[in-house]
Amino acid sequence: MNQPPEERVKFIQTDLVLPYHYVAGDYKALYLRALKDKKILGSKCSATGKVFVPPLMSSPDAHAPCEEIVELPDRGIVTTFCVVNVPVYGRDIELPYVVASVALDGADVSIYGLVQECKPEDVEMGTRVQAVWRPDGERQGDHSDIKYFKPTGEPKAPLESFIHRL
Amino acid sequence: MSKLRNVAIVGFAQAPIVAENPHRTAPEMLYPVVRQALANANVERKDIDYQCAGSSDYVDGRAFSFSQVMEVMGAWPPVQDSHVEMDAAWAAHLVWVKMQAEECDAAIVAGFGKVSEGSPMHVLNLQLDPFYHASLGLDHVSTSALQASAYMAKSGVDDAGLAQVAARNRAAGAKNPDTQLRQAVSAAELQKTPFVTSPLREGYLPPIGETATCLVLAAEGKAEKMCDRPVWIHGVDHRIEFQTIGARDLTSSASTKLAAKNAFEMAGVKGVNDAQVVELGSTTPAEELILRDALGLPSGLGGTSGGPVVNPSGSPLCANPLMNTGLLRLAEGFRQLSGRAGERGVAGAKRAVVHASGGHCLQQNIVWVLGTERRWT
Repeated sequence: MNQPPEERVKFIQTDLVLPYHYVAGDYKALYLRALKDKKILGSKCSATGKVFVPPLMSSPDAHAPCEEIVELPDRGIVTTFCVVNVPVYGRDIELPYVVASVALDGADVSIYGLVQECKPEDVEMGTRVQAVWRPDGERQGDHSDIKYFKPTGEPKAPLESFIHRL
Repeated sequence: MSKLRNVAIVGFAQAPIVAENPHRTAPEMLYPVVRQALANANVERKDIDYQCAGSSDYVDGRAFSFSQVMEVMGAWPPVQDSHVEMDAAWAAHLVWVKMQAEECDAAIVAGFGKVSEGSPMHVLNLQLDPFYHASLGLDHVSTSALQASAYMAKSGVDDAGLAQVAARNRAAGAKNPDTQLRQAVSAAELQKTPFVTSPLREGYLPPIGETATCLVLAAEGKAEKMCDRPVWIHGVDHRIEFQTIGARDLTSSASTKLAAKNAFEMAGVKGVNDAQVVELGSTTPAEELILRDALGLPSGLGGTSGGPVVNPSGSPLCANPLMNTGLLRLAEGFRQLSGRAGERGVAGAKRAVVHASGGHCLQQNIVWVLGTERRWT
């Protein structure tokens, strides 16, 4: 009885259960709902006029309210991008593929998306792109409603035109 | 006590405390509160040179949760920021220390926790040791019940006594427009509410609630310009005990006692009776009685017996928004001493003792002494 057990218990397994439901908040709720209608919404800073997308309640730089909601076009320019050559957890896309930061026309911050329907080497900083949406009836009000962006074939934007949005 | 730097509370704002705010994320709840607190202190964000938040990743369900509120606390041009994974009352303490080190002169302290998005019962269970305690499924209510039971056995206080303490807080809460439960309920009625975990009844426990809070602190020289009636910090100390619940005497609070002794010494006061207002971070009637013992206050059972007014806000029994509960006690001290407590204001109050707690069964305790005059000349 006084002998320690020969096989020691080295660890215990505890399966943590922590349920959460994240509230979108009225601003993001508007944005997500609009995606279903193939619309992209932003909000405008009352102090600087900067347009944030997705819409923010307040501007990070001016600490001012952004109560005005504005609609943005679903096209813009690739400001910066990378070419993914290794499989990423949770994503099943044929390699290599392009992930880009896209500054929508009229927005002061970028959103992120894939660039497809072209070769990775055809994507450049300044390439003009437009959104390719999931078909009607399949959009569910989340970011996957924009399947990807594709090049429009327009001339690429000069660096000076978007350098402030990098 | 050597001379320290005079630091004052000069502004406060909070969001309404509700069971669930389905329209706002945590940062969105906090933003208007920060703006209001700055407005109350007559300053702009650029006039603030330090900021600190108190929050919990487990409450919010995300890693490094504090980083989500950078934008709404103000992070541009790049600011000095810190964070405590504790009630924001401890964030206020960290700011006070920073001001003693003369690293800042005006600061904001924020509390936030989107309690309704997660499950407090699960989260608070994980605050315990995983081998012996968490695996039993203990949560805050059950550990508080173990404590209440032990206290009742030792002190002789019965169910009616707990009901009386709860009723007194509910009556106070009815006069506090900023708390969550704002209806007075008699002890007899509370005693009829069902047991949640015996001996604690539904009427002896706080509701689930969430809010966002922001307190503005400033050092002398600035504080007087920011507030008509700054409330000065005369003394503060915090102490912690074992996590292992079985290794502590649950019927008393040694850490509160020691923190109070040190805070009183710093403040140059003899004891709690030098204050006109005492605000306790007690989430059950038993905790309040244990804290009263630790501070040297009468139990208050069987009629009032003079001495300071205890829990004019209604205490956390009327609102316990996690991560904000302690900072709200400090806010009550500020409101009471600066003439901002409205109907519940204690007339002529010049000194307040404020307490906040963290962990299971009063594991960690902070005690502040606040005054209407500067402590050091």
